[in-house]
Amino acid sequence: MVNLTIDDKQVTVAKDATIFDAAKAAGIRIPILCHDKKLHPFGGCRMCLVEVEQMKGRLIPACTTPVTEGMIVRTTTDEIMTARKLVLELLLLKHPLDCPVCDAAGDCDLQNLTYEYKVNANKFTDEKFRWDIDYENPLIERDQNRCIHCGKCSRICDEIVAFGAYSFVNRGIEAKISTPFDEKLDCEYCGSCISVCPVGALIAKPFKFKARWWALNKVKSVCSYCGTGCQLTLGVKDNKVLTTVYDEDQGFHNGQLCSRGRFGYQFINSDKRLTTPLIKKNGTLVPASWEEAIDLVVSRLSEAKKSDPSSVAALVTPRLTNEELYLFRKLFKDVIGTDSIDHSAGYAHKALTEGLKESFGITASPSLIEDIQKTDLLLVLKSDAYETHPVIGFEINLAVKRQGVDLRILSDKSGKLTRLPDAKKYIHKPGSEILLVNAIAKSILDQNLADPAAQSLPGFDALKSALAAVSIEQISAAAGVPVEAITRLATDYAKAGKALILLPIGLGYPGHGSELTSALANLAILTGKLNKEGCGILILGEKNNSQGAADLAIHPTAGGRDAGAILEGCTSGAVKVLYIAGENPVVSYPDKAKSVKALESGAFVVVQDLFLTETAQMADVVLPVKSFAEKCGTFTSVGRNVQQIRKAISAVGQSRSDREITAELISKLSGAACGGSSAEIFTEIAASTPGYSSLSTDSLGDNGVIYPVVITPKLVPVVGVVPETEEGKFALLIGSSLYHCGTMSRYGEGPMLVCGESYLELGRTDAGKLGVSEGDTIKLKSAAGELNLKVKVGTRMPEGVVFVPYHFETSAINSVTAGNPVTWVTLSR
Amino acid sequence: MSNATAQNAATEEKSEEVIDLTAANAVIDKYLTLHGNLMPVLQGIQDEYGYVPKPTIDLVAERLNVYPSQIFGVLTFYAQFHLKPRGRFIIRVCVGTACHVQGAPRIVETFFDKLHIGHAETSADLRYTFEKVACLGACGMAPLAMVNDATYGAMTVQKVDAIVADYNQRPMKK
Repeated sequence: MVNLTIDDKQVTVAKDATIFDAAKAAGIRIPILCHDKKLHPFGGCRMCLVEVEQMKGRLIPACTTPVTEGMIVRTTTDEIMTARKLVLELLLLKHPLDCPVCDAAGDCDLQNLTYEYKVNANKFTDEKFRWDIDYENPLIERDQNRCIHCGKCSRICDEIVAFGAYSFVNRGIEAKISTPFDEKLDCEYCGSCISVCPVGALIAKPFKFKARWWALNKVKSVCSYCGTGCQLTLGVKDNKVLTTVYDEDQGFHNGQLCSRGRFGYQFINSDKRLTTPLIKKNGTLVPASWEEAIDLVVSRLSEAKKSDPSSVAALVTPRLTNEELYLFRKLFKDVIGTDSIDHSAGYAHKALTEGLKESFGITASPSLIEDIQKTDLLLVLKSDAYETHPVIGFEINLAVKRQGVDLRILSDKSGKLTRLPDAKKYIHKPGSEILLVNAIAKSILDQNLADPAAQSLPGFDALKSALAAVSIEQISAAAGVPVEAITRLATDYAKAGKALILLPIGLGYPGHGSELTSALANLAILTGKLNKEGCGILILGEKNNSQGAADLAIHPTAGGRDAGAILEGCTSGAVKVLYIAGENPVVSYPDKAKSVKALESGAFVVVQDLFLTETAQMADVVLPVKSFAEKCGTFTSVGRNVQQIRKAISAVGQSRSDREITAELISKLSGAACGGSSAEIFTEIAASTPGYSSLSTDSLGDNGVIYPVVITPKLVPVVGVVPETEEGKFALLIGSSLYHCGTMSRYGEGPMLVCGESYLELGRTDAGKLGVSEGDTIKLKSAAGELNLKVKVGTRMPEGVVFVPYHFETSAINSVTAGNPVTWVTLSR
Repeated sequence: MSNATAQNAATEEKSEEVIDLTAANAVIDKYLTLHGNLMPVLQGIQDEYGYVPKPTIDLVAERLNVYPSQIFGVLTFYAQFHLKPRGRFIIRVCVGTACHVQGAPRIVETFFDKLHIGHAETSADLRYTFEKVACLGACGMAPLAMVNDATYGAMTVQKVDAIVADYNQRPMKK
């Protein structure tokens, strides 16, 4: 620790602190334009000049100068004020001062400092810049005339996003921030650059001219897309969510958001939102009153309950709050008495509810998101972890670039993660993950690198004898990864001081189920990489409350039907009433024909959703629900963080929350009143859910609480199967596009502007062989059907492997896939 | 694909530079393991092609794993790099103080007239690039002109004719 004096105040800070950090710690504000707490110091703007007794003769930039023992700093002398005023005059010389029409007004550091330092005249005169404004890209408007060259956009895009969209170009007075070749911006559109821009040089196009910054009501909440659980602040005016507001103090991610988090909020006030209940009459859905709709649903449910409770089934989205999921489970499992309830076709929870349950005795990840930056070696399954969980992707970027974490990617394709500095990739043939993980486990045992303590754990002998039959050479040949690479990875993983495994799951990851999870858990258990900071395994659930849905057991637990069996049950006539809350099986579940057949089977189908989705269109009753912005409750995100969402606007149309609807159904069906606020229901959850017992809504606060778990490790042998290959065909992988999450993001304007339709991604060599180029249409044919898709040529796909995202209804990929990790297809022009 | 889009795609393909990347790959191979290899790679590519063609920038970005934006930043920062094709013969006329008083402006004008190109421009046939420069460091020879590495001192309007006539005859291949 270092002691110094700032403005006659004694301060003690860590020795790697700068004067700026020390002043901040002491509550002394030093003005700054080019500094961001998440980025490396830059020292470009000179607003933070201070006087240091020991360095007299010149003013010192506080943001780049490290503290030294006994330093005496003054932050507001006359000389300093004059110097800062000069800095502002020089910046204002070129700045267009178009504040009345600038979206940043009110939230502009330059405007605020100009006001604070009373710069009402300028002793210099010069012409303004006349750079062309980039209006061409869909989401980020770039006006370089307003730029003050702080470089934050370029630095955040490099240091945290690792995309590198911008750089300073040219020299001297001609210098500006630009894209390669001065072309229009073409990037990931995470908007991190907008969030750190101190002026209005970078603004969010969808928000332009929508509202003044100071007129926005700012409501803290949690993003409702993926499972990362990023906190965000909604900008609300006139009962509409108009934007997301950056707050660098929010969450583990310091306010960083991805494209859909920042730009995908428009679904909330979309004019496609359902506003009244609908009832199918004479084959058409017509508006109805709540009373009529609820009465109909209640009568069908009670009828079915009386004759055979198991003829009722439910598919519930893990996008709902814990409170809503809890009530759903109560409604179906307790009140009606059916165990046929499931979510996300099973893909979003089996890794947790079966894999981890078996290996660790719990249904949640033992590790936390914070472990990513604290580990030594990070083993990531599939490069798409970045695509499905972009903000966790930022954490991985930071881990590699700042903490020097050794990144290993076991994947069937390359991706952004594989391009990180010194990242090692193991590109394997699709579908061979379990084989490879088993080979690594075998190699760990062969090299005697297993932790001695692991040998006394249950399942050790079973695993050892199962692995005895495994041949690394054969797996190497089947998976296409060299033997040396496998053994080296085993050695490095076992010998690393700390190692963490990341496994993304969800509808975009058909192979990532319980077996792969147990195989990976075996590695962590065998090498003792558990119960330590930076160690273990972190399962990345796909949806905002995937972890909550696992915690609250929204899946069959007593022999009921799982998602696939529920749909089959509808077709066979065994399921008479199907209740679908927020799920869209027609688009997102594998095997579209199966879902359509089930919905057409004659079972009574109730759908409650924000939109008249492809599934809702086939329902008998449709109930409009509130979005996350219209209700309170909690989500449990990756790494077991239970966080609160807050009501930002009142209900759109006549919509009711899933909680209100379910509570009413419970009351009517059971005859006992069921009501209560979210907080009261949360108390019930805490009382009945393992891990949640110490939680209450009061204790959650702004940052949420990570609930504790205790693991009981067990080694579980799993058998990998050599994936079948079909000569002359392409291996089709499905997954998630960076800009989308499930099917809800299609109702967000931002994601659709960047990625509005499905596509087929393939490598350059294959594109050359097929004679197709970017933007062409290609015909894809599988045993189940055929589709026409737009071609996207990239560097991610290995030869013979193609990728299609699963979010879209037009050219829906689930009409040619049936849920296998790999589907073999032919492609033709 | 409709006819209109097909046509657009065809013109786009045409406007995209078609560059043989073999030489650029060889340059990258040579410096691949060197720490801080971006400058020598870009210089090597410029030596090979006479300028830094766009496809080579994409190639360098991919093979060295450097953002294209940063490469573009470096290329636009240094005066030594050129992003557009340069002439086979680079004519530089000094307009520094000594050359100026000795009549450099007329020499410049005469080159403009003869070559039909202005300052920092390249002729359509890629034979000439003309540049006014501040000083070539040989004021005793004022007014001074250079064509590639050859120096021409005590320039006159007549000498401009002779130089242009001479270089018009020279082969385009190095």
